[in-house]
Amino acid sequence: MISSLAIAILNGVVWGWIMALIALGLNMIFGLLHIINMAHGTLFMLGAVSAWYLIEATGSFWIALIVAPLIVGAIGYILERTLLRTIEDNPITTIVCTFGIMITIQQLVLMIFGGTPKRLLTPIVARFPLFDLQYPLFRIAVAAFSIAMIIALWIFLNRFKYGLWMRAVVQDREMATAVGIPVDKVYTWTFVLGSALAAFSGVLAAPILSVEFSMGNHVLITAFIIVIVGGMGSLEGSVIAAILISLIQNVASVFVAPTLASVFALTFMIIVLLVRPEGLFGEKG
Amino acid sequence: MLLKAGSRSILVLIAVLIVLAIVPFFAGLFYQTFLTEILIWALFALSFDLLFGYTGMLSFGQALFFGLGGYAISIPIIRLGAGTGTCLILSILIPMLFAWFVGYFSVKLSGIHFVIITIIFALIGNTLGDTWTSLTGGDDGMAFTVSPLNLGIFQIDLMNISSSYWLVLGIVTLSYLFLVRLVESPLGKIFISIRENEERAELIGYNTRRYKLLSFIIAGGLSGLSGGLYSLTLKYSSADFLHWSISGHGVLYTIVGGTGTLSGPILGTVIIRLLEHHLTEFLKGTDLVVGIVLVAMVLLAPQGLVGLIKSVGRKESKHA
Repeated sequence: MISSLAIAILNGVVWGWIMALIALGLNMIFGLLHIINMAHGTLFMLGAVSAWYLIEATGSFWIALIVAPLIVGAIGYILERTLLRTIEDNPITTIVCTFGIMITIQQLVLMIFGGTPKRLLTPIVARFPLFDLQYPLFRIAVAAFSIAMIIALWIFLNRFKYGLWMRAVVQDREMATAVGIPVDKVYTWTFVLGSALAAFSGVLAAPILSVEFSMGNHVLITAFIIVIVGGMGSLEGSVIAAILISLIQNVASVFVAPTLASVFALTFMIIVLLVRPEGLFGEKG
Repeated sequence: MLLKAGSRSILVLIAVLIVLAIVPFFAGLFYQTFLTEILIWALFALSFDLLFGYTGMLSFGQALFFGLGGYAISIPIIRLGAGTGTCLILSILIPMLFAWFVGYFSVKLSGIHFVIITIIFALIGNTLGDTWTSLTGGDDGMAFTVSPLNLGIFQIDLMNISSSYWLVLGIVTLSYLFLVRLVESPLGKIFISIRENEERAELIGYNTRRYKLLSFIIAGGLSGLSGGLYSLTLKYSSADFLHWSISGHGVLYTIVGGTGTLSGPILGTVIIRLLEHHLTEFLKGTDLVVGIVLVAMVLLAPQGLVGLIKSVGRKESKHA
């Protein structure tokens, strides 16, 4: 009992950090571009699929971890420049448009990559004992990578000019334009950054999940819920909510059936939505 | 122009109905099944359009009511041996009851929060339908046989493809006429005023939350009816009926056809279904084209096909 609880807690924390990365990208894209990105889970999937191809070609997981986010970032660049540019700041339209993008990309992957789920070998095979069971060291590494990435992101947003620009644009777009901030560029690169973050977590999650065209759908819905519960625009809130929700789900499924646990989690989110629509950590708009 | 626009569209409607009614006399069984499906999906798209196109509420959770409509047919037939007519009425009433409950909470929110809460409710429904296999049959679903529908003087044998086509045609036509009346009525105008400017509608003195709930309940009933007809013609229902991709179908057909019009969702359903059908012959991933069409419509013709036709018509009449 204690060992399965310990594993559930560890799994919850590890998965929580992965989800935090995804939710952060989603939240940044919404906060700045006002795009409700239904294709965000698909970008996560693209990260995992690119990783699969890259590992086939190079044999190294670590190369894939660096290159796959760059590839997906480039795809994000193209999407933002060509399709999303014209409908930014109109959230409802962006839902439908990114929904179309999501279908298109998923079907393309289905045609090229095939429909059978593929397994990715774990790059770190070592395990360490946890009470009477063994826990894969790789998952700890996954959490460490996610944390490192989030710290890097925090430094980037708080210590560099670019992060300052981003916050300025969020606060007052017209004022930002007036003082000479290249708002257009900030828009594009924020979308690229969000896409790359989703792909990075996709690569990290690939050896834990199995790689297939629809692997992003479930992740997308969870990420949305995290952003809402944590508060739109609150990046700290997203991180806390990601870990909280993932922990609740994993620990609850030790005691009750997993589906029942997810029904409880979903009901909890409805209550949060109704009582605090601005999110648990969001500021009242 | 000899006739007013109103009476002209009535003539068009009657002509279309006559053609549709005589289809079983010259078309094969395959096309009758195909048309039956189009009619059912058109009804589903119409119910979504009442919410989104007329009342301005983007619900991504209409699959919940579609699935409930399906269960309202299959569960009473299998577990209770209920008659087909009773089940059809249940497939409107039960989803309406659930829509009342879901809507009561959902209409308190707007914008993205409304979208998310409808997704979550549908997700809960899907999870429960998946898990509660003893009642719903879960993912595998349940198949059943349908007893003939008794309509007083005559009987409709639903195991016959042509007669179920006529039944679906009749019910969808009635629902369409109901919606035409509804959107032209004072109530419909209130819905539209909420879509245009909710604050203003509230300031004029309308209890907008109550009207949004009303729109949600009516749409839920119609979504349920379409799910009920779907299950009745397939003689099958499963938890997949509650999957969010079903909600996506409604959104897709309506946006492509044109939101805020009643012809739009029907046109969108016909076009997308035809596209899917003809593309499967030489392309495996038909949804690929569907996705591209959706993106193209949102970016290039946000008013949908109906809007596109109207603007072309306006240009031509200017030239004349």
